[in-house]
Order: sequence, then C-alpha cells, then structure tokens
Amino acid sequence: MRACTLSLLAAAAALALAGCGERPQVINYKQGKYQGKPDTPAYANAPFNGNRQQYENTINTRTQSQNEYVRLRD
Amino acid sequence: MLLTRKSDSARVAGPRLARAIGSRIATMDRRAFLKRSGLVAGAGAFASQLPYGTMGKAEAADESSSVKAEVHRTVCTHCSVGCAIDAVVENGVWTRQEPVFDSPINLGAHCAKGASIREHGHGEHRLKTPMKLVNGKWQKISWETAINELGDKLLAIRKESGPDAVFWIGSSKHSNEQSYLLRKFVSFFGTNNMDHQARICHSTTVSGVANTWGYGAMTNSYNDMQNTKCALYIGSNAAEAHPVSVMHMLHAKETGAKMIVADPRFTRTAAKADYYVRFRSGTDVAFLFGVLWHIFKNNWQDDKYIHDRVYGMDKVKEDVMAKWTPDKVEEVTGVPEAQIFKIAEMMAKNRPSTLVWCMGQTQHSIGNAFVRASCIVQLALGNIGVSGGGANIFRGHDNVQGATDIGPNPDSLPGYYGVSTGAWKHFAAVWGVDYDWMLKQFASQAMMEKSGMTVSRWIDGVLEKNELIDQDSNLRACVYWGHAPNSQSRGKEMVEAMKKLDVLAVIDPYPSATAAMGAMVRKDNMYLLPACTQLETSGSVTASNRSLQWRERVIRPLFESQTDQAIMYALAKKFGFGPEFIKNYELWKPDGDAKFEEPTPESVLKEINRATWTIGYTGQSPERLKLHMKNMQTFDVKTLRAKGGPCDGDYFGLPWPCYGTPEIKHPGSPNLYMTSRKMMDGGGCFRANFGVERDGVTLLAEDGSYPKDSEITTGYPEFDHVLMKKIGWWDELTDAEKKAAEGKNWKTDLLGGIQRVTMKHNVHFWGNAKARAVVWNFPDGIPQHREPIYSPRPDLVAKYPTHDDKKAFWRLPTLFKSVQQANVENKIAEKFPLILTSGRLVEYEGGGDETRSNRWLAELQQEGFVEINPADANDRGVRNGEYVWVKTATGAQLKAKAQVTDRVGRGTTFMPFHFAGWWMGKDMLEFYPEGAAPIIRGEAVNTATTYGYDSVTMMQETKTTLCQVEKFTA
Amino acid sequence: MARMKFLCDAERCIECNSCVTACKQEHEIPWGVNRRRVVTLNDGVPGERSISVACMHCSDAPCMAVCPVDCFYKTDDGVVLHDKDLCIGCGYCFYACPFGAPQFPQAGAFGVRGKMDKCTFCAGGPEPDRSAAEFQKYGRNRLAEGKLPACAEMCSTKALLGGDGDVIANIYRDRVTHRGKGGEVWGWATAYKLPAQGGTQPGAAPGGAPGGAPGAAPATPPAGGTKS
Repeated sequence: MRACTLSLLAAAAALALAGCGERPQVINYKQGKYQGKPDTPAYANAPFNGNRQQYENTINTRTQSQNEYVRLRD
Repeated sequence: MLLTRKSDSARVAGPRLARAIGSRIATMDRRAFLKRSGLVAGAGAFASQLPYGTMGKAEAADESSSVKAEVHRTVCTHCSVGCAIDAVVENGVWTRQEPVFDSPINLGAHCAKGASIREHGHGEHRLKTPMKLVNGKWQKISWETAINELGDKLLAIRKESGPDAVFWIGSSKHSNEQSYLLRKFVSFFGTNNMDHQARICHSTTVSGVANTWGYGAMTNSYNDMQNTKCALYIGSNAAEAHPVSVMHMLHAKETGAKMIVADPRFTRTAAKADYYVRFRSGTDVAFLFGVLWHIFKNNWQDDKYIHDRVYGMDKVKEDVMAKWTPDKVEEVTGVPEAQIFKIAEMMAKNRPSTLVWCMGQTQHSIGNAFVRASCIVQLALGNIGVSGGGANIFRGHDNVQGATDIGPNPDSLPGYYGVSTGAWKHFAAVWGVDYDWMLKQFASQAMMEKSGMTVSRWIDGVLEKNELIDQDSNLRACVYWGHAPNSQSRGKEMVEAMKKLDVLAVIDPYPSATAAMGAMVRKDNMYLLPACTQLETSGSVTASNRSLQWRERVIRPLFESQTDQAIMYALAKKFGFGPEFIKNYELWKPDGDAKFEEPTPESVLKEINRATWTIGYTGQSPERLKLHMKNMQTFDVKTLRAKGGPCDGDYFGLPWPCYGTPEIKHPGSPNLYMTSRKMMDGGGCFRANFGVERDGVTLLAEDGSYPKDSEITTGYPEFDHVLMKKIGWWDELTDAEKKAAEGKNWKTDLLGGIQRVTMKHNVHFWGNAKARAVVWNFPDGIPQHREPIYSPRPDLVAKYPTHDDKKAFWRLPTLFKSVQQANVENKIAEKFPLILTSGRLVEYEGGGDETRSNRWLAELQQEGFVEINPADANDRGVRNGEYVWVKTATGAQLKAKAQVTDRVGRGTTFMPFHFAGWWMGKDMLEFYPEGAAPIIRGEAVNTATTYGYDSVTMMQETKTTLCQVEKFTA
Repeated sequence: MARMKFLCDAERCIECNSCVTACKQEHEIPWGVNRRRVVTLNDGVPGERSISVACMHCSDAPCMAVCPVDCFYKTDDGVVLHDKDLCIGCGYCFYACPFGAPQFPQAGAFGVRGKMDKCTFCAGGPEPDRSAAEFQKYGRNRLAEGKLPACAEMCSTKALLGGDGDVIANIYRDRVTHRGKGGEVWGWATAYKLPAQGGTQPGAAPGGAPGGAPGAAPATPPAGGTKS
C-alpha cells in the first residue's frame, strides 16, 4: 500500500517536475536587448586580426571591382 | 527517486527523468528540440526531408583549418561569352567559386547559369555509369562491356552497310581539342556523316557571311561594342542569351550609344532599348531592306567605302529601291514607314554602328538571305572593318565557335578546308597518316568528298526511301555525342526514327532527353556512356569573339564518367585505328588506372596549330594561352590589348586569325577586316575567294584600299608559291620553309613561310578583294523575301513564294514549295492561325537537361509555358496560369501553362525550347535511368515543330511555324 | 566607414537571376528558401524594370524591433544578423519586414515554419567566423575574408552593388551622371510632384517609366528618344 502511494506520488511528482527538465532559456532576460550568442566583428580573426583599418581598406578597394568604369576610360 | 535534492538536482534529474519516463528522444528540452528540428541547416534529422541538398555539407571543414585549397581557373561552359571562373577545390571537392574580376571579357560578372556552375561538382542527376537498355529498362554495365558491345554493333553495321550508315552527332560543348579529335575520329571511321549544334544555331550565318567577305564569324567583339554609337539588335535576346554581353552594351549606352531592338517579342533586351520595333517573325529581308531603302533614299551610304571595298552594291540598290518601298515593307513586316525610317536614321547618323543578330535571323528557311541582308546593310554604311561597327554575331554554346572552326562538320575538315582531295591530302600530312589508307576507310572517293547529312535531318536519313537518299544505305545507327535531341525540329518524327534505328547511343554527362525518348519507343540496343563535363578536363575554348581561353581542370571526372577524348581513343582502338588516331600526341592518365588513357589537350592543340593556316589557329599555342589566363588584368577592356606585362601587345585570347607560328607572335585579330591596322597588329582586308573578276567587273579591292602600310597598295588575289616567286619574296623564306611551301599556297604551306614573309611586308596573303553584295553561288544572288514554309499569310505566299524543292541536298531530298503549297491548299493558316516561335530563357541552356538538373537554376523556372497575347487568350477562353494544348499541323500537341502577356504581339505565341521530359502531356520520368532525370521536366516545343529548312545550310525553320492554342482537356 | 548597403541599379538590371543563384550556390541554400529575389515591374511592356531585393539591413530594423525573443543584432558594419539558436520561427519578423526578407524552409518540424533564414550580407552569424558551424547555419562569411556579397560581385551587368554605402553611392552617382537618368525610377514623381506636362518625367524611356501609364502595350510602341 505504501509502495503504491509512494509510486503514485513519485509519478505525480514526475509529472509535476517535468518542467524542471527544461534548461533555463536565458539566464538574465533583458527585454529589447539581443539575447543570443556573441559574435565577433568581421575583422577580428585572420586575415585582419583586429586591424579594422586594413579591413575597411580591403573592402572598399574590392568594392571597386563592381565598378567597370575603373577599367574603362570614357 | 529522491525529491529533496538541492538546486542542481534539476539538472541531474532531467536526463534521469527522461530515462525514467522511457522517452527515447535525446532530450526533452524545448530549445534543444527546436535546435534539432526545422533548422534550415538540415544537419539534423530532417535533412532527409529536404530533397535538394542542404546547407552545409558534412564534409565542409572549418575554413581556418589547414585544408589546402587549390584554385583552378576555368571558363563557364554555358554560352559563348566566356566568363572566367576561379574554382576553389579542397581535397578534390569543389567547394567554392569566385568571380574573376581580372577577366577583360566579363570582369567577374556572371548570369544565373555561371553563378551556379559549381553544381557541376555535385552532379546529383548526372549519368553516373554506362547503361544499356534491356527489355525497356536501364541496366548498369561496365565500361569494357559498353565499349565492346557498342563497338561490335557499329562495326557490324559498317561492314554490312558501309560507314555512311552511322550518323555521329558531335558537340559544340566539346573543347577545341575534343571537337577536332571528333572530326578526325569520324573521318577514320570512314564517313562525313557527322554534325553539331552549329547547324541549328548559326550555320546560315557562317555560310552567308563567309560568302560575303571572308569567313563567317563575329567580326568585332562584345568588348568592342563599348566603342559603338548605335547598336541594332535584330533577332537577338541578349539579355537572356548573353547576359554579360549586355554589361558592355549598357556601359556603351551610358556613355552615349543608342540601342535599337527589333523583335517579334518585347524581350528583356527590348526593355533596355532606346527604341523598340515589333515586326512579324520571318520577314527580316523586308525589314532590313526597308531600312536600306531609306539609307539609299537619303544618301546616307558610304560611297567611298562601297567603291573601294564592295562589289555589286549598285545591283542591290536597284533591287531594293524597286522592291522595298515603305508600303511593301509595311505589308510584309507590319511595320509603318516612320519606324523603319527612324531606325535607318539612327544607324546612319550614329556611326560607327553595329548590327547584332542571333537565332531570330538564322533559324529560317531563308536564313542565309537574312544574314546576307544584314551584311549588306553594314557594308552600305561602311561599318565593317571598323571598331564600334561590325556584324556582331552572338554565338550560342560555349564552344560552338571552336567546333564550327575545327570540329565535326559534315562539309569540311577542320579550318574550313572543305572535303576536296586537296583538303584530305593536307590533313593526311598533318595527321601523319597515309592518304590512301584514309581513302580506304571511306566507301569511295566520291563519298569521301561529298558533304554528309546534317543533324537537322538525320531522322530523314533513317526514314526516307532509300532510292531518294544520296548514299548507299539508310542510316542504321546514331550516336548523340554531347547534343540534345529536343533542340531539333519534328520531334514527333524523331521518335519514329529512334525506333527504327538498329543502334542508338548517347555519350553525354547527362542521359539527355534522348535516353527518355529512346526508352519510350525502344526495348533494346541503346547505350548511354557517361562523358564528363568541361570542368573535369582541360583544354581550350573559343568564345564568340574568337578569343581562345584555356580551361584548367577543376575536379577529376565524377562517378564513372570519362573524358570525351578518352572515350574516343578507346573506341578508336576498338575500331582498329588506335595508333593512327593518336599519332602525334602525348598520352597520359591524369587519374592513374582509374580512368582510360587519353591524349593530352596540349599536344592536340599543338597539332591544331600546325594544321589550321586558313583561319589562323596557328599562333595560339598552349603556352601563350595559359600565359593570357594568368595575366588577365594586363588587358585593356575596350581594346582587349595587353599594355605591358608578359603578354604585352597581344590581344586577349589571341582571337583568330592569329597568323603564323607561335614564334612570330602575331597578336591576334580582335576586329576583322580592319584596313586601318597593320597585318601584325591584327589588321586585314576582305578575302579574295571568288575569283578576280565577274562579268568584266573586278572583284579585287580598289587602289588605295589595303591593310595599313601594306607594300602592295592595290587589290590582288590570294598568295601561293607562284605569286611569291613572281613578286620576288620567295628567297626570303628559309630553306626549310621553301621545301614546305613548294607547290603550295598560303593555306597548305605547313611551315607557314608564305604567311610569315608576306606579313613582314605588311601584306595579307589571302588576297585583297571586295566584299560581295551580290553572290552567284546562292539560290538568290540578292537576298529576296520568301514567306516561311508555314506562313500565316497565304496571300503573301502567292507574292513571295519559297524556293523550289531540291532533290539531293546534303544527301537528302528537301522540300520547299510543295510543303508551302500544300499548306495553302489545306488552309493550314486558318486551322493554326497563331505564329509559334521559340527562344531562350536565361536560366536554362540548350536542350536543357543539364541546367534543369541544377537545383539552383531549376527552382527559378519550374514549368514549361507558352506566352500568349491577352487578345488571343480571350478569344480562346484561356486564363493566365491555366494549362493549354498547343497544337501544330504535325498532329502533335503540347501541354503548357499559358502565360498571358503583352510581351508577344497579337497573333504570335512563344515557347522556350529548353524543356523536355514530357511527351504530349505525359511525364517521361519512368523512361530516364534511375536518379538521372532532370529535376524539372516539361514539353519540348520541338516535339511539335514543323518541316522547313534553309536553302543553303539545312538550318531548321524553328523561329516561324504555326499553331493553335486550346484550353487543356485531359 | 559607413554602413553596408545594397543598391540595385534598375536601369541595368536585366533579371538574369545571377544574384539569386550566386547566393544559393555560395551558401548551399535549400529549395524553397530565397534570400534574394528579382522583382519585375511592368513585365513584358515598355517601361519594364527589374530590381533585385534581399534584406535591406535597415538602420532601425523592424524585424529586430518586433522579435519576441530578441534574436537579432547589428554588427559594426550595419549588417543585421540573427541567432538561429534563439529563433522560435514565429514569423513576426516576416510580418514586420516591408521587403519580405525573412524566409522559412518548406520542410521542417513546424511544417511551413521553421528557423527564419535571411540574407546575411555574406557576414555569417554568431558562430566562430568561417567555421563549419557558421557555414551550416548561416552560410559563408565573405566579409571576414575581405570579400563582398556574392550576389553583388557576380551581377551580370553590375546592376547590383553591395558594400560600404558611401562607396557604392559614388559608383552609382558616376553612372547616373554619365547617362543623365536613373534616379527617377526611385520615385521622383512622388518626391518632386512634377507637373503633368505630357505626363512624363525627365529622361523617361519610350512608353513611360514606372509611374507613367503602361496599360496595355500598343502593338508597336510609339517612337520616342531618350537623351537629346
């Protein structure tokens, strides 16, 4: 009888505690602020290694490849 | 179970609870569950539900890891613009493609097809192994079995019925080396019955233009259009067929050029035009001569140019002024005088002006007349041989130019030498084989020197009565080697021919619609051999502007495919001429014993260099071409000339003619026939190919018209050893050169001494003649309008009837008048009142099985459709998006989705020709080998197209036939 | 450096779909998800214009504002990215975006819904740059290699420009100066309320630019020049 109640209680507890199986979504939820994984800026790693100026120069130079006027005099 | 654990118990209890409850899911956690499901990345369990590949292949490594990436520079395999691609390969897998901004031709740009070409590295729908049709089902066989069985069957047919009983359909998608080898291969097999896509693409152009002034190729280039002041696109939808060329045109427009588009449809190209004119399909002669009428009327022609460099323009003027007055032009084309006048004015007042044409002009029963009319207009305006002018003929497939130049043509050996005895002897010498041995391979000398049948008519070679065909036996076997079937007309009869053949074979990276059509009607004796694409081999390719580019191999042949040259060599050995086939080449096995042995592309190109003196494929050695590919950024985009750097002075890709041996370093000829440049600077003049005079009038150029600094300042005929001696330049040849040139002319002198010495004197060795506005070797000396075979205007058929029937034309009886007359008598135009025309879409290429197997492209055009004008749709109760039947006089009917649009004028309908895989409403999926059907299938418009062929080249009349459209009922 | 921007020059766009397939190829995007699309106005009649549209990477992005789990963020370059691990696939960003940038896969546990996917300006996402994980979830990170979006780099007519807003503005201005028109497709009639003299805007193509009356196309369009 006691074993039966115990198992019933256990089952009930199991159901009630089913929610405990969930990992917390966010530790400290701040509404309106990004909640995801951190991301590094594009220039953080190789080949720029944090050199923002070099990154910008590379990008801006490469953008001129979209401009055929550079290779075509009028 | 303990209920009183501390705070960390929640974590521990979780998994245990899950286990206790007996759940098999790895975690009950909601977020984790979400992470595994619905994730676009597809790395999880649901990847299998995404049938078309997922983001992030399992083998993709971290980019920052130490996997070594190789970069191979290749060229897109779709159209003739020739966009370069840098293919990034890691561990033998093609992982990325990067744009090549350095390329002077495309500057990094691509169209949808080029931007997605990396799919060739996946190739999920490729033909993966050799296959054989057994009792109506496809079975995998080994390469040995395939070569032996197919080889035995073809040998048996050759023995019983002669080598002319086999038709070899070669490819405009082969590299230069492969297409040259195929010409040789089929020649050694013993027949001229071979052809390729050029027949149904620009054959009329090549013939018409060559007969006007020299050789039939694009005279200027896509880049040179930067220099034009006005461009007339007639029968060209460049925005969909040659998208990257439009970059050059739009840049020209921005810097002042005008753009005119004349087309039965308001195409995407027309949307960019300054001026658009709609005219009736098939009436180009009337249209162009209507323009010419205004040019003459207003005295806008270039008299000096005509006097110096054109023969017969006075006769043309007489004809045009009488026949093509504005009222007659309007009657035939539907275009009012004001619009024609405006075009004439724009072209005349904004010179140099250029004329662009494609299939819209070529695919007609009088296509040869259309292209000649275009040439005549440009000659009248003095636009040929001028930068910014020219006849800018945009070719189709990536190497149709190369295949036309040196590939499997039925009427010529490589280099337009023809098939005369002299031509065969020239190539016997080049190939290092005995002329008599070659002669013995053929049925007879007569057959050896007779042009073969064409790809547009091979079906009649099978089906026609034997006594009416101009060879001993009907065709009993057909090999589709890199060519689709649904780009040829009369598909309904094609399956009859496929059924009747003894043997049908396909050698292609994809099974192509041939496999499905064949399996639909045959039970056996059909073979599929997997060839690989141009990205799995190296070689050179000739773009439409005649520049050659070298492709590096990107990946090894996928699955069990072999390169075409390896397959050719294997079959050559089977047929007993292996050693002859590879006589002068180096052999290699780039993949060890995994694949067959094959000749190296470099050694084949070197033989091409030694052979092709006619069109100057002599200077483009592999070394020079590779150097160009590595130094693309040194070439100027407007002039295509390298300024400094290792290729200094060369034009990009050494556009042919690149005369003389590679050692003399001719720079190539970016614009043809330019008298303002020296010979060694790419200059030239019109060719003297038709004699010195005609009816007492000279055909040679007038005094004062010659390539810059030429020591001969008058017109003169072509050079041979006699003329060299007469002029006194013979002794400038070296002893070896003299030996080679004795008894020869500029085309057959194998060491090129004649060419080298004449160019030293700035003289063109092919003569200095006038272009012919009137020709005497064509059915119509001056282009005449003749109604299409299936014309919507019986009244005009009476006024402008087509040609008489021909008895033995490319070995087959060819009907013109009898079909046209029958159509009038049977009131075909009433039963089928809508013009049916076909054309291209940007997403697909050619027959389409290859591009419709590329999931990135296939998603963009998922249904075959027919464009129909709203008025015509309403007349038939057809709504946009509904299925309809498109019916033609052949009795065939096509199920297509109706796209009701104003793009087509009233009375015209349009279907793209890239679809295949449906047969009159039925999906042919079951007839494809398993796993090798294209993703998207649809009706092939050519299943229903009709009889009609060009009077000179046997081009099919696919741009103008008749149809009726009805609501679809099952 | 200004923020990253796209600009599609509608005078040059020929609807070749190179941008669409370049993106699909570069990021191995599954069937049904189209980060970039070409939109055509007045298809088939004079005045036809096409423009390539993906995410506009707005300064004040509505998607970011409405996301219930705040999975969006903006990089230094002004690129709007999001964390797929957080995304719950509710589709609210799809409601909010005026350009239809958010895409959802056809297959997946939620049927039509699933993780939202959109144009990342080829800047990857919140996983280590250029890692396999980043490629699996977000596609290629070209910015981290010093390259620009694949769509802009492969455009057939260089209509689609992508990069630093100042730089591409200069490129575009250069073109407009040369050809004397191009800006009016962006709504000059609205901005400048031009009088209806002939109903045309400056430098209109024959048949009228968008904003003019396309209607049913005439059988042959009226003659008309562009630049004088």
